[in-house]
Amino acid sequence: MVSTMHELDPRTKIVIMMLCGCLVILLDSPISLLACFLFSLLLIAVSSPTLKQIRLLLLFLLFTTWGLLYSQAIFYNAFPRTILFTLVPSDFPVLGEWTGGISVYREGIFHGVVQSLRFNTTLVIGCYIIWTTQSRELLVALMKLRIPGTLAFMVTTALRFIPIIVEETTAVIRSQRLRGFRYLRLNIFASINGIINSFRPILAGIIRQATHLGESVESRGFSTESTSERTPSMASGMRSMDYCIVTVFCFSLIAIVGLKLIYFCYANGIYYASWLRQVYTFTREIL
Amino acid sequence: MVPIQIENLFFTYPSRTTPTLNRINIDISAGDFVLLTGPTGCGKTTLLRTINGLIPHASAGTQSGSVTVGNQNVTTQPMSKTCQQVGFLFQNPEYQLFCTTVADEIAFGLENIGVPADAISDRITLALDQVGLKGFEDRLITELSSGEKQRVALASIISMRPKVLLLDEPTSHLDPKATHNILAIVKNLNTEMGVTVVFTTHRVKQVEELCNRVVLMDKGQICLDLPKSSAFQDTKPFLRLGVETPNSDSVKEKQITNFAPSTELGNQLLSLTNIRYRYPESKMDAVKQLNCHISEGEIIAIMGANGSGKTTLLNLMGGLLRPTGGEVSIVGRDSKKLKLKHLAGTVGIVFQNPDLLLQAATVKDEITFGPKNLKLTIEDIQNRVEDAIDVFMLTEFADDVPHSLSRGQRQRTAVAAAASLKPKIFLLDEPTTGQDLQNLHRLMDELCQAIREGNRTLIFATHHRELTEQYADRILLLNNGKLIFDGKPATAFSDKAL
Repeated sequence: MVSTMHELDPRTKIVIMMLCGCLVILLDSPISLLACFLFSLLLIAVSSPTLKQIRLLLLFLLFTTWGLLYSQAIFYNAFPRTILFTLVPSDFPVLGEWTGGISVYREGIFHGVVQSLRFNTTLVIGCYIIWTTQSRELLVALMKLRIPGTLAFMVTTALRFIPIIVEETTAVIRSQRLRGFRYLRLNIFASINGIINSFRPILAGIIRQATHLGESVESRGFSTESTSERTPSMASGMRSMDYCIVTVFCFSLIAIVGLKLIYFCYANGIYYASWLRQVYTFTREIL
Repeated sequence: MVPIQIENLFFTYPSRTTPTLNRINIDISAGDFVLLTGPTGCGKTTLLRTINGLIPHASAGTQSGSVTVGNQNVTTQPMSKTCQQVGFLFQNPEYQLFCTTVADEIAFGLENIGVPADAISDRITLALDQVGLKGFEDRLITELSSGEKQRVALASIISMRPKVLLLDEPTSHLDPKATHNILAIVKNLNTEMGVTVVFTTHRVKQVEELCNRVVLMDKGQICLDLPKSSAFQDTKPFLRLGVETPNSDSVKEKQITNFAPSTELGNQLLSLTNIRYRYPESKMDAVKQLNCHISEGEIIAIMGANGSGKTTLLNLMGGLLRPTGGEVSIVGRDSKKLKLKHLAGTVGIVFQNPDLLLQAATVKDEITFGPKNLKLTIEDIQNRVEDAIDVFMLTEFADDVPHSLSRGQRQRTAVAAAASLKPKIFLLDEPTTGQDLQNLHRLMDELCQAIREGNRTLIFATHHRELTEQYADRILLLNNGKLIFDGKPATAFSDKAL
């Protein structure tokens, strides 16, 4: 089903992703990061994803959130930090003595939440772009954004090849197993060597397919050097909705950068004005 | 109307020392239908690529001589101009479609060459009508069959209204029905629209009726260029190169005498009881309520249209997929309870794309990989590897990188690698793809001989009727995932209802 979010110009979508990428780096507060993440989910929600896409997205989110939370919770090394519970006591033979003990820290979990909100926001917006944009529209949009044609084509074909790579990787792994290869063995070097070798047919296949695809599009008049002769017939151009969204996002980013600068000047004793006190509070609490 | 003139054309790829095209001189008149054939690696595809400008514009190498299409030198003319005169249909439909929907795919080329926006939808409708896909505009490419994808690719080219159409083995991935559809469209373009056609293929019989001229290539040179009426009067040049001719029964008879079906069957190896299989996210079964039993010593062909479930059935037989319902018993063990590692040495498989099996640095290492994993003795490994290299005629490539070999050689390497495990059940998916007759027979001869000698079982999926007639004792015919025939090939092919 084609929604309004599908019909946005691909350049608008790319700009949304870039600006959101900047926003999540600038913002520190979990509240504002949560707002960004909810906004990205809203984008996906109104673009009418399929059940398969929703499941895939949830899987991505689960893995990234779990990975970030887990790693930050146990590897958090800033102070102060509060131990919630200990996994390996410091007096535990070998591992405990070697690591000084492994614990889960409250501040680490908090930091993991913040990092996963940042990461997941860009991940969700990336999925939104891929799922709502035709390959050729994305290609042309990237080139119109002055991305070099060769790079734009590589990005677009890389996205197109993801399902093929998954399928071929499965086939390679199965064929290796059927030929008696075990990926997990006591000899770690043999395992690593086998895994590296598995990449060879996958890479060779990708190169071959990408070459064929490149030749196919060149045989149909596509050039990485110029888009000036193209007819933007079916690809939607920038419309008032696109301009509105891009303007709102640009102003939001400028405003947040401005507020952050004002707060930075205050916090570092460079400039203080009493009439800006509410701004300082807002920036500290919300941004 | 646009003639093609090629004069003193030489082309050498960067990694090669000998030219792939060696002094090519040919004039093709407007409206000609040229059948271009020759053994694998003879330079057919390279010649087509020089005509549409992919060489030199998108491919490195050393070229000399001239290629003109409609008095325009395609070597110097930008491809965006050449593509408006010359259309190119590639071999594999999977690798040439770029967009998500059918309409977008066709619009892509039209937009690239600057066709006015208001004319594009008319051209899409017309092109789809010409390829028999009227009303397919909004269909997703991923939901189409291989035959439909190839027709979409053809529609995307003819919508640009080229005067010359180059087709590079466009039917090699297609079943007979889809092949017939493509050939009918091309014939219509040639006879009704006056499009000049250059059609490369190993399946001479399929295209011979449509062409008015036959060109035979070998080792980068044109060794025969005659009107169709006289081209096949002397078939020796074709047979010498192992190229099919309109009447190449002599090869078939020879093979039948060599590989007589076995009369005594051994123990049961595979048993499929009421199996069905449904892919995740799919709404229908790819294989439906299928029953069959396969014994030692059988050579079996699985046939059926594109999408009928041949590859799925092969994967189920090999334990690579587990049935959604029913039971697959491999050498007496339920496949649901087996891990793939338990099947190593029992089942060997070569996919339609043999490259997926090639992971080693040399051909010899590739063949050694399996026996080494089985932890056989060094002597046994050496014997198996030497046998496989010898039987599949890979001696001169033993130290080469598998991926640097030709398609036929890569497939032989993959088959040798699987055969070195001496599996009781050998599964081979579409061995005909991209192979000339000589290579194909060489491969099948070697494999069938090894299978017969070891009293093992070969199951291969194919669209190629003659291959089945020549090598299979039994045929499993599938239609939409259902087994509609299980018996002797002769019986199947004599039954017109099938």
